[in-house]
Amino acid sequence: MTDRASFLAAIRSAPRGLDPGLPDRRDAPDAPTQLRVGEDRAARLQAEAEAASTVVHRVTASDVAATVARVLVEANSQRIALTTDLAPFVDDVQATLAVAGLTGAIYAEVAPNRAHAGALDATVTGCIAAVAASGSIVTSAAGAGRAGALIAPTHICVVRDEQIVGGLHELFDGDVLAEAGSLFALQSGPSRSADIEKVLILGVHGPGNVHLIIVAPD
Amino acid sequence: MSATREDVGGTPLPPGWAKPAHQPDAFELTTTTFEERAAKTMARPFARGAIANATDHAAALTTARFVGTDHDALREEARKIRAHAIANLPDYLDHWIDQAERKGTVVHYASDESEARRIVAQICTDQQITRVVKSKSMASEEVSLNSALEAVGVDIYETDLGEFVVQAMGDRPGHVIAPILHRTKDEVHELFSAMAGHELPNEAEALTAFAREGLRHAFLTADAGISGGNFLIAETGDVLLVTNEGNGRLTTSLPPIHIALVGIEKVLPRRRDLAVLLPLLTGHGTGQQITTYVSVAAGPRRQGEPDGPEQMHVVLLDAGRSALLGGEFEEALHCIRCGACQNVCPVYRQVGGHAYGWVYGGPIGAVLTPLFRGQEEAGELAHATTLCGACDDVCPVKIPLHDLLLGLRRRSDADGHVPRHEQLAFALWAQVWSRPLLYRASTAVARGSLRTLARDGVVSAKTPLLRRWTAGRDLVVGRRAR
Repeated sequence: MTDRASFLAAIRSAPRGLDPGLPDRRDAPDAPTQLRVGEDRAARLQAEAEAASTVVHRVTASDVAATVARVLVEANSQRIALTTDLAPFVDDVQATLAVAGLTGAIYAEVAPNRAHAGALDATVTGCIAAVAASGSIVTSAAGAGRAGALIAPTHICVVRDEQIVGGLHELFDGDVLAEAGSLFALQSGPSRSADIEKVLILGVHGPGNVHLIIVAPD
Repeated sequence: MSATREDVGGTPLPPGWAKPAHQPDAFELTTTTFEERAAKTMARPFARGAIANATDHAAALTTARFVGTDHDALREEARKIRAHAIANLPDYLDHWIDQAERKGTVVHYASDESEARRIVAQICTDQQITRVVKSKSMASEEVSLNSALEAVGVDIYETDLGEFVVQAMGDRPGHVIAPILHRTKDEVHELFSAMAGHELPNEAEALTAFAREGLRHAFLTADAGISGGNFLIAETGDVLLVTNEGNGRLTTSLPPIHIALVGIEKVLPRRRDLAVLLPLLTGHGTGQQITTYVSVAAGPRRQGEPDGPEQMHVVLLDAGRSALLGGEFEEALHCIRCGACQNVCPVYRQVGGHAYGWVYGGPIGAVLTPLFRGQEEAGELAHATTLCGACDDVCPVKIPLHDLLLGLRRRSDADGHVPRHEQLAFALWAQVWSRPLLYRASTAVARGSLRTLARDGVVSAKTPLLRRWTAGRDLVVGRRAR
């Protein structure tokens, strides 16, 4: 078996090619995944998310729970789990669901049994950030878990206005990823495939019904 | 490992649904010529039409994606990042390994294909893994991983919809990111109906739902998930994976063990480099703003996290890569496997991926295959190009593909692979075409005889003469609407 030392030695023994130097980030050109000058973050997030077939709701903090409940009732979801990164809204959402005759389990209690996790109808999560220019939510293993945001056919994500970053540069240069845990993930709209004759199908392995609730600042 | 395997969601697939995996030495490359393989695709009208349509569609989406941005500056930035990473590969790999191990990843080292197979098979044997879900990995295709796992009694489920079809048909992927580009819905319908034991609706949605149910059961019962990796981030020890279906993340989330097989050239210095590389990988791959699921994992599940694997293994794959460092073909290692060069290549668009005989098709396949498999087996692929340069223009990291192809041709000529009659013919041609009168006379003769040979403006395999030449290509004479 090749070990680390001999594996790297083989690579080190090769001649070195031309090194143009690592480009300085400050000179980086614009990418489609960057905000344009003066652009409104929440508006761009909404536009990009909708372009990726996400249903977007713009609400105030007091309307979050009611919006979640309405979406879950419309989707006819019975087995529902909430992740802990929903933190400021967890109690409120659970209380509102109870009024509608639904129960929101805590994902961390469901997840240890893969079969139970796999049988969920819907999950409701928070996120650690959202990227306006790419229409993505950013979830963490420490918060929504690895599969919390894509295990069920319906996913609702709640993002607070102050969590929205402009583009990918801002996300990777910021410190929000430091506490993500063993995995972070960008997720942009429903699961999709066009493998069969280029026909776009939503909801392949992940959710086909994806909602983003953007909470306005107080 | 799990005792209650069948009491979960989804519907188990019938036993024997998967065709046996290809053996490492069973690539068509070894037994057939490019011409013979191309002729097979040329004989399937649907495949030819579908490949051209799909690649047109993808190329148009890519162009549209970057309107209003300084696309060229972004590509130049990406080129520098990749060139810098590859020029300092041992240092960045060393750093990646430190970071990955610090986060609990077990790193393995595969010098060649057979070592990669041995390592993954050994992990499966040691950990009593008998069922594996796989997300799409070209590296695993390179090393014929599935055959090694089957040999130690592992059931494999390819979970990318296209790869699932490929596995059930005993086929090979036809495109880096669209594996069943060359297959029809009817073929998938027939296949899935036979697997289901009853006639399924012949709709993409229903067919996808059938695959989802079978694969959901596999996800919920698998002992391990095996993936590739789109990037390794040296700074943080991350393995990055992009998928649109979500199968990549489920592969790295649900089973108790995650194994990633990644080529050493996939390393990037920093997370922030993703802000440049991700929009290019996605924009040039599918034309999307960003791939639906981008998952960045470093190590197994940590204390307090609700889900995730107990073990994470990464197998670093060399298999011919380090041999390219510092040499004439080093830039081939800059490739990020977006598939854009296939979409614009006039040769790929006619003959499809299988004609290249190994794992990668199109211009990058014509470069990598001879480099990885050797001149003897694959040298002819450097001639499967018109040298039009469309691949250079579309490459998101500016690999000078047509220069590399010319370099490979020169190498094959230097090795004495040019037949005597061909050398003579070219000497004669040089004499004729350097004299204006003879040049004009020769083109008039050629034009006249081609018009005589053409049927409906095309000289094709149906033409009585030139059969060897036309078996692998059509020649359009004059204008013809396409």
